[in-house]
Amino acid sequence: MKVLNIILNGKAVTAEMGQTILELAREHDVFIPTLCDSPALEAAAMCRLCTVQVIEGKWPKYVTACNFPLRRDAEVVTDSPEVRHGRKLIIELLMARCPTSPELQRLSVDYGCDLERFTPLNDDCVICGLCTRACEAVTGRTLSLAGRGVAIHVDTAFQKASTFCIGCGACVQICPVQKIKMEDVDGERRIILHGKIASRVKLPQCTSCGKYFGPVIDLKQVMERMGEHLIPPPNATVCPECSRRNLAIKLGKRYFEQYGVFEEEGQANAG
Amino acid sequence: MSGTACACQEIECVEIEIDYSLLDKIIRDDYGGNREAMIMMMQAIQRLYRFLPEDAVKYLSQVIEVPLTKIYEVATFYASFSLEPKGKYILSVCTGTACHLRGSGGMVEHISKRMGIAPGKTTSDLKLTLETVNCVGACAVAPVVVIDEKYYPKANIATLNDFMDRLNAE
Amino acid sequence: MIEATQTAISHPEVAKITSPSGVELFRKELQSRLDPNAPLIIVCCGTGCQAAGSAEVVDKFKQMLSGTDWNGKVIPLVKPTGCHGFCSRGPLVIIEPQDLFYQQVTVDDVEEIVNKTILNNEVIKKLQYKPANSKEVIPKASDIPYYAKQTRLVLKNIGKVDPTEINDSIVRGSYSALASVLTRMSPQQVIDEVANSKLRGRGGAGFPTGLKWESCARQEGTRYVICNADEGDPGAFMDRSLLEGDPHSVLEGMAICAYAVGSNRGYMYVRAEYPLAVKTLHTAIDQAEALGLLGENIMGTGFDFKVTISTGAGAFICGESSALMASLEGKVGRPRPKYIRSVEKGFRDSPSNLNNVETYANIPDIITNGGEWYRSFGTERSSGTKVFALTGNVYNIGLVEVPMGISLMEIVFGIGGGIPNKRALKGVQTGGPSGGCIPIPHKIPDINVGYGKLAEAGSIMGSGGMIVMDEDTCMIEVSRYFVNFLVEESCGQCTPCREGLIRMREILNRITQGEGREGDVELLTEIGNFTNNFSLCGLGTSAANPVLSTIRYFREEYDAHIRDKKCPSGVCKPLFHYDIDAETCTGCGLCKIKCPVKAITGEKKKTHVIEQALCIKCMECYKNCKFRSVKIM
Repeated sequence: MKVLNIILNGKAVTAEMGQTILELAREHDVFIPTLCDSPALEAAAMCRLCTVQVIEGKWPKYVTACNFPLRRDAEVVTDSPEVRHGRKLIIELLMARCPTSPELQRLSVDYGCDLERFTPLNDDCVICGLCTRACEAVTGRTLSLAGRGVAIHVDTAFQKASTFCIGCGACVQICPVQKIKMEDVDGERRIILHGKIASRVKLPQCTSCGKYFGPVIDLKQVMERMGEHLIPPPNATVCPECSRRNLAIKLGKRYFEQYGVFEEEGQANAG
Repeated sequence: MSGTACACQEIECVEIEIDYSLLDKIIRDDYGGNREAMIMMMQAIQRLYRFLPEDAVKYLSQVIEVPLTKIYEVATFYASFSLEPKGKYILSVCTGTACHLRGSGGMVEHISKRMGIAPGKTTSDLKLTLETVNCVGACAVAPVVVIDEKYYPKANIATLNDFMDRLNAE
Repeated sequence: MIEATQTAISHPEVAKITSPSGVELFRKELQSRLDPNAPLIIVCCGTGCQAAGSAEVVDKFKQMLSGTDWNGKVIPLVKPTGCHGFCSRGPLVIIEPQDLFYQQVTVDDVEEIVNKTILNNEVIKKLQYKPANSKEVIPKASDIPYYAKQTRLVLKNIGKVDPTEINDSIVRGSYSALASVLTRMSPQQVIDEVANSKLRGRGGAGFPTGLKWESCARQEGTRYVICNADEGDPGAFMDRSLLEGDPHSVLEGMAICAYAVGSNRGYMYVRAEYPLAVKTLHTAIDQAEALGLLGENIMGTGFDFKVTISTGAGAFICGESSALMASLEGKVGRPRPKYIRSVEKGFRDSPSNLNNVETYANIPDIITNGGEWYRSFGTERSSGTKVFALTGNVYNIGLVEVPMGISLMEIVFGIGGGIPNKRALKGVQTGGPSGGCIPIPHKIPDINVGYGKLAEAGSIMGSGGMIVMDEDTCMIEVSRYFVNFLVEESCGQCTPCREGLIRMREILNRITQGEGREGDVELLTEIGNFTNNFSLCGLGTSAANPVLSTIRYFREEYDAHIRDKKCPSGVCKPLFHYDIDAETCTGCGLCKIKCPVKAITGEKKKTHVIEQALCIKCMECYKNCKFRSVKIM
């Protein structure tokens, strides 16, 4: 694999052919802020916060670190005044849309942002696309980025509660401004988006403990596309906790049988 | 088989008969069920019903196996698609640069005020849909207004008033 | 819609052309049956003239001709053609073989034309062309300066061929270049010839075409040849004319490209707003395939090239190459990052060569006449010719093809005929929403048209839209118009473009409504530069050009709007009003008649007065006053 010579913020380092600037930076503990990037998903470069300058020939150009593949020897500058100025504006503009992102709030202090500059748009979304991309990676059936230009927004088909959603909660976990909510109410899981119910999923009931249960996706697993393993099989009647407990009892029975110590299988346990 | 149209409250709701055999002809016969031709399938469906009825879109989703939410994404992205029923007459004002410089903006305002609808919307009696279109390429005869695919060159407020008078008389 | 008329040349008995030399044989056969003195009635049926009623003119001619007693004379053939480009004078009729030009022909004129001109060789003066402000008639089309001063290379067939009749195109040379390529050139030789011509992409970016084909040819895997016919710039209709008027030149160019890069599959992406172009293309492809000039086993050589037409659905962004390819795949037209070029990974993640309509249309002649011939036109860095759509405040609105390097003033005055209504020229906007306004002649005396020169002046070549603006144009309103256009057409995925445009629109709306603030220009500049540097795709990285170029050249207008709350050009309604100047008003009463809201009072020969409360500032009085007595205050 060809090795490239990169000067990263003045320091000479090496990179692999095709490696992104963001990967390289993280290898060398150089911090580049990101918002729409996630290790679980392919880079989309929508927020533009990770923009840096790269010089491959004569002139510096602005590129996004998350998806720019290094293919020649180059110089990379991650924190020049021009880049910082651009990031400052991105933060100011996005905060005007949605002021409650902890990530952006931290960055706004670091970049000296003037948060009074732009009249608030009072949206609760920074259009990072993470929820739609996560949904696509799991089942692709519920959320998408509808509309265009100023009207772009996250939505479900025909703005109605989705009947295809599996209630995995990946969108809830991945939203950087924590605006997507999940509620389990009376045997129904609801995903709440923009104050409306975006999906309703009937939850199966555990025949062992009586609890209602649904899938929960660990995003690291999504990255390795192993999320399906955490989705209960279609005809599951026992929730994951009881499933684990029953398995433990089975195993324990065999081990502890000789000592005569084990609990009765199927004994209900509160909560 | 039939299906209902929109769920919006702005227009008197319309019962649309969806002819699934016609949809099959478009999706399977004309375009071979090919997902890449989805936009053109949607255009053909819209030509049939003058908009995209929800049930027709659901059927399309099932046949070509594309998630409904993805088709909705496409329908809301491209300006020529409409998810609401259109009026009997569709009046498009070209707002390209040449037409704009000759006052097309004023014409849009005028119709909007007179018929009480914003551009992109339809009157509640479903008679007229007002649209704007970004340049039809007939710049020498600007400003251009297109009513049901007929081009009206060098249109002006008087032309429009005539049309709206005739419409109201219907 | 126009149907194909009877062919000028009767079909020789050939079902398919089965060898490249067969094209030349067929062409010669067709030529031998062609009588150069045969009477023809050519009617322009491009979208513009059809909007003005040329389809009805064609029908009336046919009706009259069939009802006339010819007494053994040859019956003239009515030939509908594509857009001639001289749109301001349409509907156009040219009588051959005498090259007699008639303009603004209506259905009511047809009978007179048949009886006087066709049957009796008499000329009808009122239908003839006179240059603006002159009484001298110019009878022949080829003598009219608007045509004579152009260098019509890529437009050479338009107005001469019936686009629904392939034989018309073949007799004028279509598919001869492809035959030549398939007989005696290797793919590399084709690429070299195109590189030799120094042809640059005519869609706007100006990337060297030969280099693009070279990169594509080098890739592994299935290659695709794609034609960008999504001409979305408002005010540009060059591609529409080429597709409606000479579709075979584009198809032939694509086929030659396919041979050069090693592709068998072509796609033409046409915007939905061009239904006539789509129809014409379908007919053209069917006819070419039937003759063996496209499709499978072209000219019996074993080379396959199949072209599919795909339509857009109303999204300007789909003119951007990666968005176009996403749309071809049935998805939303959201651009993808271009760090890996589409020649490497484009349509279906495969190597794809995307070029504009006009670029492909230039290829056949470059092959036939050689790259050096093409370089004999234009300049060192911008070779060849370019088709521009000249619109706005100019006499001769329409399409002009000129060599690169020509001066803008020559285009506006020499070919365009100058500015009507005795107004002064303020500037010329090129490149549509991605371009800028060049302030000739008062701030820059002139500029020679070329990729580099236009970029230096703060604009771009763009696809060819050229909007002439006179003194009555408000440059703030122009930049507000373009920003507003882009706010809706932006795909919306990236922060700088979406948010930058929203905020620029906010500021420009305030300014045009009289609520501009000190610091607005600086803020527009800051946001504009940010948008241009940080956006994801070409729409975003050029979105601020109209704003930045108007600030550069017309700062005084911004200052007038913001500080004085005045619009000196009389466009932004809250910032001006009309008053009639008592000293120059003759009391002719024309303004009173023209006013649609009866806001003007006055007696004959006495100064007229505008009632401000009733005035809607529609401009009718200002435009029509022959004495320029209506003043902008």
